[in-house]
Amino acid sequence: MSSARFSIYRYNPEIDGGSYMQEYRLDDIQPGMMLRDALLRIREIDETLVFRHSCGEGVCGSDALNINGRNGLGCITPLTDLKQPIEVRPLPGMPVIRDLVVDMDRFFEHYRSIKPYLVAHDPEPEVERLQSPDERDRLDGLYECILCGCCTTSCPSFWWNPDGFRGPAALLQSWRFLADSRDQATAERLSELEGPYRLFRCRSIMNCVEVCPKGLNPTKAIGRIKQTMLKHIL
Amino acid sequence: MRVPSGGLRTWELQRVSAGYLALFTIWFAAHLILDPPADYQQWYAWVAQPWVKTAFILFFVALLAHVWVGMRDVFMDYVKPVWLRFVLRLSMMVLLLAMAAWILQIMQRVVPA
Repeated sequence: MSSARFSIYRYNPEIDGGSYMQEYRLDDIQPGMMLRDALLRIREIDETLVFRHSCGEGVCGSDALNINGRNGLGCITPLTDLKQPIEVRPLPGMPVIRDLVVDMDRFFEHYRSIKPYLVAHDPEPEVERLQSPDERDRLDGLYECILCGCCTTSCPSFWWNPDGFRGPAALLQSWRFLADSRDQATAERLSELEGPYRLFRCRSIMNCVEVCPKGLNPTKAIGRIKQTMLKHIL
Repeated sequence: MRVPSGGLRTWELQRVSAGYLALFTIWFAAHLILDPPADYQQWYAWVAQPWVKTAFILFFVALLAHVWVGMRDVFMDYVKPVWLRFVLRLSMMVLLLAMAAWILQIMQRVVPA
């Protein structure tokens, strides 16, 4: 592949009446080039294009985008895998600030609400709060989340109820702390998620699993929270 | 903020009713295939047995409960104006209760000859 065509969502609320798709063309595409590299080169041509990015290697979670209709990280999405013209849009279901940059406030409000930290009532021990290797293993597949928002913004339940439903990312993190042997706030965490909206809007659609760039499984974590709730009342 | 209610309980209700509906359907289909009633009298006599009748009544209860949770979810997801959602949920409740009364009335009349 030597050249690539792009169709990129543009919207500048200070100038534009509405959003529109803008076409770009890049020549001299190198094998192994990622979408983020292409966006950086497009910005050399058109410096008004705005997008978030940082680490460039799928660790920071800044450049989550909707690429050809599927959420993913620009920095680890090779151009060669994509059908042309490559359609790049902001994450769905989120307010657009400008071009590809969305307002992530609501996403992080949900994240904060699940108390993403250890809650322990016991007095602090002299040494660390210890875990057995087995207990530590239970956090695998949970702690790796980079909070890019790909899962939550691909979730129809979140689109329909963005204020009420916590979304897959926050719920995966909720399970991460519920599953932690050192955490002592199980009852509080579970009662915070009770009600028809916060947890139970999940209909196991599994878009979250499909798009997670880290290969995590929020649907499974949500199922585990429901199981724990059941055990808790029985 | 919405008042938290109907999370775990309704989810359980949905799962349990789904499980019963699945088992009943398999059992009912198996009966129709393996031992099909020859005429209306045979069919009536089969349904009139107390345990078959109980299974049928439970089936209708599970079905209506399952419909209630499902429609509640649809209204919650797709109907945003609160007044409209309230009207729809109330109408659905009235409709389902009427159906339940009707079914009970029918099943009451089914007695062994």
